[in-house]
Amino acid sequence: MNELLQLARDALLFKHETYVQHTARADALKRGLTLLVVVTLLAGVISLVVNIVNGMRPADFEANMQEFEQGMESFFENVEPFLDLPPDFEEGFREGLKAVLPGIEIGARIDELSTPLPRSVGVLLSNLGAFLSLPFSRLAGWVGYGIWVMLAAKLLGGRATAAQTLGTTALYAVPHILDILGPVPCLGGLLGLVATVWGIAIYVKALAVANEFTIGRSIVATLLPALVIVVLSGLGLLALLIVGLAAG
Amino acid sequence: MKALIRLAWEALFLREDPYAEMRDSSNAVLRGLGIVVLIAVAVALVGLVGTALEWATTPDLREIQETVWQGLQKMDWYQDLEGVPEIRQQFELGWQIFPQLFGAPNVGTAALRIVLLPLRLALAWAVYGLVAYLFARLLGGQGSLGQTLGCTALAAAPQLLNLASFFPYVVVGGVVGTWTLLCRYVALKTCHRLRWGRALAATLLPYVLLAVLVSLFSCLAGTAASLIIGGGTSR
Repeated sequence: MNELLQLARDALLFKHETYVQHTARADALKRGLTLLVVVTLLAGVISLVVNIVNGMRPADFEANMQEFEQGMESFFENVEPFLDLPPDFEEGFREGLKAVLPGIEIGARIDELSTPLPRSVGVLLSNLGAFLSLPFSRLAGWVGYGIWVMLAAKLLGGRATAAQTLGTTALYAVPHILDILGPVPCLGGLLGLVATVWGIAIYVKALAVANEFTIGRSIVATLLPALVIVVLSGLGLLALLIVGLAAG
Repeated sequence: MKALIRLAWEALFLREDPYAEMRDSSNAVLRGLGIVVLIAVAVALVGLVGTALEWATTPDLREIQETVWQGLQKMDWYQDLEGVPEIRQQFELGWQIFPQLFGAPNVGTAALRIVLLPLRLALAWAVYGLVAYLFARLLGGQGSLGQTLGCTALAAAPQLLNLASFFPYVVVGGVVGTWTLLCRYVALKTCHRLRWGRALAATLLPYVLLAVLVSLFSCLAGTAASLIIGGGTSR
């Protein structure tokens, strides 16, 4: 555990030797994955507790809706002096809200239905399930993008194996420990942004060390898949536009 | 059994050693089959527990259906449809499909998976192993069919991630498929001693072939259906 903490700290500080030693280890992927999972779970702990406490409260649909409407009221009061909203915007918004209210009510009524196990067990298990799903969601994004980065790195002359690349780039998750403050208004979002930028910087460094190439090449390998996605999406949209125009 | 579990666990981390061990094993196919079946049964059993817990914390589907129906009747647009006699019938019909689509817990289906999942994974393993073997050999690979099947069986290791479904409401998602692809790449690279580019091609070509076959089959089925329907209306 101490060793992992040391690795996390040195990764955050971009210590070159740590990256080199980590890449050379036979269990680089196991250690990288452990860090990724632990950080993701720790970052979700506060949200888990908040969600469980909120979920345990007896649901009162009418009171919740009243609270929501009051919130919207004060929101419009606060925002109006700063934004040039059209005169019928608020009315339109209220109409829209009225249209979706029955849907929200259906959800609330279903929530009140009885279950074989007590409701509190359901709240606990569903929140625990969502919490335990967090690492899988992070893993999916990281591996899904990582495959294309590995391909780009190989084409650019990279020498790392799949286990080395993934094991080292997994360190990108370490700054995301800051996501633990995600539920805090404003600060949470700001720290999330810091963690993302810091994580990308670690990813680039890790990729460069694992593949034994320059930071420049590493930046290209990291960004290339995203660029390809953007270009392909642009081409797709253009094609749709042309088809739409041709169809009249 | 312990040795098989260790091998699968090590293979999950994309190290070449377990794949090399399997390649050099004298009964790679049998060991491979053992790994696939073992993982599948474990995942299905654990999934059954998770599904049962999810079912026990979900309201009765009939009650949910009735609540939704009552809620729909309160909606503005429902007033326009009130005179349509089939509306309730359409709703009932939709209700037979939607809960399954949205993942409503079904203990019966989860129990059936104890038999079906090993069959499905074993079939996928055998078909992929055979096709990948052909492509790997075409690309200069040196492994035998038995060795290929043994090594690609280790690519079932990412299914171990599904053991998390012991906890209800856990979503493992697409990571299993992507990780399987990576394991298959390492399996073919190690088994056939291929360079990375050729190993990548041998890994992906079975998927490409499957996509082509599915497209072809869809086109043929579409053409046949339009001919039948077209022929039917012309009469």
